This record gives sequence, structure tokens and C-alpha cells, in this order.
Amino acid sequence: MLIENMLMAFSSIRANKMRSFLTMLGIIIGIGSVISIVSVGDTMKGLFEELYRNIGITQAYIAIGYWVDDWRESDYFSLEEMERIKEIFGDEITYIDTDAQTSADAYCARTTVQFNYTGIDYNYQEVQPINLIYGRFLNEGDVLGRRKNVVMDTVSAMNLFGVENAVGKTFRTTIYGTTDDYTVVGIYRKEMNPFQAMMMGANTEGGEAFLPYTILSWPNDFIYDLRFFCRDEETMDELCANIKSYVARSKDRQPEDFQMVTAKEQMGQWNSMLGGLSMAVGGIAAISLLVGGIGIMNIMLVSVTERTREIGIRKSLGAKTRDIMVQFLTESAILSACGGILGILLGGGLVTAGGMLMGVQTVIRPEVVVLAVGFSAVVGVFFGLYPASKAAKKDPIEALRYE
Amino acid sequence: MKSILGGLGRKKLPDYITDNISEDLIRLEDLVKVYDTGALKVLGLKRINLTIHRGEFVAIMGQSGSGKSTLMNILGCLDRPSMGHYYLDGVDVAAMDSDELSLIRNRKIGFVFQSFNLISRTSALKNVELPMTYARKNKKLREERARQLLARVGLGKRAEHMPNELSGGQRQRVAIARALANEPPLLLADEPTGNLDTAASVEIMELFSQLHKEGTTVVVVTHEEEIAAFTERIIRFRDGEVLSDSPNVPREPRGRDSAPDAEEGIELRDT
Repeated sequence: MLIENMLMAFSSIRANKMRSFLTMLGIIIGIGSVISIVSVGDTMKGLFEELYRNIGITQAYIAIGYWVDDWRESDYFSLEEMERIKEIFGDEITYIDTDAQTSADAYCARTTVQFNYTGIDYNYQEVQPINLIYGRFLNEGDVLGRRKNVVMDTVSAMNLFGVENAVGKTFRTTIYGTTDDYTVVGIYRKEMNPFQAMMMGANTEGGEAFLPYTILSWPNDFIYDLRFFCRDEETMDELCANIKSYVARSKDRQPEDFQMVTAKEQMGQWNSMLGGLSMAVGGIAAISLLVGGIGIMNIMLVSVTERTREIGIRKSLGAKTRDIMVQFLTESAILSACGGILGILLGGGLVTAGGMLMGVQTVIRPEVVVLAVGFSAVVGVFFGLYPASKAAKKDPIEALRYE
Repeated sequence: MKSILGGLGRKKLPDYITDNISEDLIRLEDLVKVYDTGALKVLGLKRINLTIHRGEFVAIMGQSGSGKSTLMNILGCLDRPSMGHYYLDGVDVAAMDSDELSLIRNRKIGFVFQSFNLISRTSALKNVELPMTYARKNKKLREERARQLLARVGLGKRAEHMPNELSGGQRQRVAIARALANEPPLLLADEPTGNLDTAASVEIMELFSQLHKEGTTVVVVTHEEEIAAFTERIIRFRDGEVLSDSPNVPREPRGRDSAPDAEEGIELRDT
């Protein structure tokens, strides 16, 4: 009987193709926009997650809180302190440095390029995968010996030297007032999708280079913050809290006087913000489903009137109230579900096409698709109830007489 | 879902459907139908008492307004009497609700209408299957029986045709096949030849005669004497009352050339 009803519904939908399509349009647009909005949200989430995984999800920074009024000298860190933290938490921390960065012009022959330098420890490569293509990475000797060696990416090398493989070449730059010649020991290639380039800033004109942190941070420096990577993403919150209270104790402060920023936490914030946003906008889009549902109710009422005689015939042949009811409900549910499926194709198609244009892998969650089709069928049943009950309540004699 | 929709199929049918209780297929006792139009009440039927036995071939005649359509609707369980009793196959259907009446129509009555009332955009075969669909018969059985029935009315080769691809006479034969689908004891025909030419009318009436000979009870509502002439009993109505009820010697089925004679016959009787 269910199959019979579905076949009947399809044949009646096919009999009025244009009308059925226009009726479905509301649902198509509603489902299409819900799907694409949720999918854009999910895709953004995925991209942020990838972004944070790229910079290291276990990355964390600790510094004295910006809200603390009475800053003291002891609130800053020293290299000694960093070494102590490394010793105490060495098992759980995979990497730590002074988060030292500076920028300066780099000269080579007649070329001048503005460079950003990041000071790192030799084991940086273990926590941040770097696609080294020429030469070597900085090693322990470079760091301990404060050697003026750098590792830069291919774009920076092209900008400064005009070649990608610049291993062995030297350039002159001034760091903290001291001008020296620096030697390129390694070249790596940066791989970023357009979204990452947008968020992190693609380097096209300037230069970026890694150099030993010992060149930027000296034993008596006041270091504002420390950067470290945790071994385990799961337990990093606890570890961060421990480090915070250790630091606070050693500086005669309260733990809440220190700020700790972690990539995991930031990603979580992005996730919940994007999730909330796509929920809100998707909810607004879902209102259009309501409008689509009313369209279905309207056309079903027309259909019921047009088919009054058919209803009379069916009743005379023994159709019960429920038989007629189910027949028309099936029809409106199928009409609506077809609209839902077309809407998914539309939304999915738009998002996929947009993703391909932007070079981004889009995410369409299957549960959202199932939910959308299910919801559109529910809309169909709900808005079909009134027309169907109108059909089912028709008096057989009157219905048979209807011209 | 299936259990909700198909539940009835497995549920035991009520006794009044499964048992053939009575030799009197139709018994009307003091049947009254009042139409309440608000301003005034119109008596459609005035205390009708009537019995039709199993296996009879009956014509119900009357001018328009005579009450024959009202009776037809009540006999067909499409309408309920205002007062009195209607025993169909021994069961009083006067007080049944609309779903019970649907079940009665489905199992006990086969309708043949003046305007055929086939469902458009639905093949002859599917049309014939419809009463069996509502009786929750399985698909294989339905199709098999529908093909048999179409073959029996001479449309075996037109099973897949749509109603608009068939002539009037053919459509009416599809309707008769459909009426027979659930083997109802009563075949109720309302002006079955009203939209047909003479040749097709004769064909249809001969088909009824044949069905009657095979044991089906046939009740034909008509205003044409020529049609009534095929039956064995003629009940005439006027102003909501039975005017006369007399046996009739059925006219022997003749060829198509009989048509002009018959028309003369009607003129004679009408005057």
C-alpha cells in the first residue's frame, strides 16, 4: 500500500511537472541555503583546525597578564628561568623558546629586502614540520655557538638572491644595532592553501628567516613571554595550569596574574564562534522552509479540489478516510522530500563549486544531509495534513457529482 | 510505517463481511430519507419497503426527482437513511460509520456509473486493481485477477491502455471489471448506458445479463425502458414511493439492428 501510494504520488507529480517544480522551489531554496550555510561553517571550522594544526595545536605562550598594574622586573623571564622550566617540565614539553622576533633590512649586492627573523631552538623542526629542500636545518652547534646561520623559504630566497637554492650565499643585516654577514644554510618550501595564505599572510615581497634564538635573546635580557609546545594535546590544559602556577610561585605572584594563550584554546573559540554563527544563519535560512511548506500546502489544496471526483471514485471503491489521508500525505511528503533532495544537490553543488574555485576542500556532513531531507519530508507531512484531511473528509456523493 | 498502513490487512475482518447471512440480499424496512435544506425539509424517500433476493436482475426506474438516485445512494452505502433499516446481506448498515460503510462498499458492492468514473492517467489494469488494493490484496494476486477480469469483459489486450485511449463502451467494460474485482454479491449500476450509443448500450446490458446468469445480483437504475427490458423485475418510483413492482420477461439479446425498434418502444410506453 505504501509503495502504491508512492507510485501514485510520483505519477501525479509527473503529471504537473511545472507546477510541482515551482511548488518545490521554496523547499529547494530553503534546503539549499541551509545546506550551503552549514557546509560553509563546517568548511571554515575544518580550515581553522588545519591552520592550527599547522602552527601546532599544542603551542602555548605564557606572559605576565596585561591586566596587571604593578609590573615588576621579575615579571619578565630570563634565559635561566627558561632552562629551569625546561628541566622541570622537560618530559611534557617538547620544545621551548623565547618567542623572539625582529625585523630588519637584508642586503645582498644591490638588493634590499625587509626580513622578519624568528629565533628558534635547533629542535624546532620536531614540533613544526618544515619542508626542507636544500641544505640543512639549524643544529645544536648553531644555537650554542650563536652562529650567524639562517634557514629561509624559497620565496624569500628568490626575493633576496634571485634563486631558490641560495645555500651557502651570504647577506648583510643589522640586528639589535649590530651589522653582520649571515649565511644561508637551508632552504624550505612553504605550502599553504589560499585560506592559510589569507589568514597568515602570504609572503610575496619580503623575506622570512629562522635563526638561532641565542642571537636574539641574551642572558640578561628581559624576556616578555615564553613559547612552548606540549607533548600531548589531551593533557596540555593540566600541564599549562601547572606551568602557570610554577611560574607564579617563582615570581611571588598569583597564577591568575599570568596569561596563557594556547592554540588549542583559540581553535576552540573559533570553532564555537563559527558553529554559533552558522547555526544562527542556518536557522534564518530554515525560515524559508516554512514559506516553502506553505507553498506546498497551497498547491495541495488546489490539487485536492481538482481531484475531488477522483476522491469520490476511490471512496466508492472502498477507500477509507485513512487511505485518502495517507495518499495525499504521501504526495505532499514526496513533493517536499524531492525538493529537499534537489536542494541538497543545489547547496552541495554551490559549495563544492565555490570550494574548487578557492582551492579549498569543502565539508558536507552526511548527518546534515539526512537531517535536511528528513526535515523537508516532515515539513511536507505537516503542511500536507490540512489538505489531506480536507480530502479525506469529502462526502463521497458530493465528490462523485463534482465536475 | 508499514504496520500502520497495512495493519488492516492482517486484522480479522468483521463477521458481517465474512459471513453470507441472508438469502435476502437487500431488505429495506420503512426506509425514510429526509433532506434538510435548512428552510424546509424535503422527503426524498417515504417509508420504502423492498426486498431483493440473491441472484435477481432488477431495474429501478423513475423520472428525475422520483427518488431513484436517493435510493441508489443508500443502496450503494454512499448515504445513510434518515429512518428505517437497510439490511444488506442480513446486516443493518443504516447506523454504520463512514469507514464501516467503506468496508461494506469495498467487499459487498460493485459500482458501475453513468460517466464510467475511471481514474484518469491510470491504466485499465490499475483501475481494476484498485478495489483489491483497498482490500489489501497482494500485488501478484491483484494483477492476476485484474487481467482475468479484463479478459472476461473482452479487454484482455487493452490492459495497459489509459482510459482516454478507450472508447465509451470499452471504458464501461473496464468499470464493470473493476466492479467485479472483490467478487461482491451486489452489482449496482447507475444509468450505466447513459453516455453510450445504442450498440454499446446493448453490449453492456448483455454483459450484465450474462453476469446475472452466472449468479451475480444486478440492480440497474435507469430511466430508459429499453434498458429495463433486459431485466427480470422492474421497480418503478415516483415522488419517493414505489409505484409498481412487477416481474419482467427479459428481452432476448438480439443483434445491433434491434436498436431502432427499441426506440419506438420507448416512445410508445412514455405516452
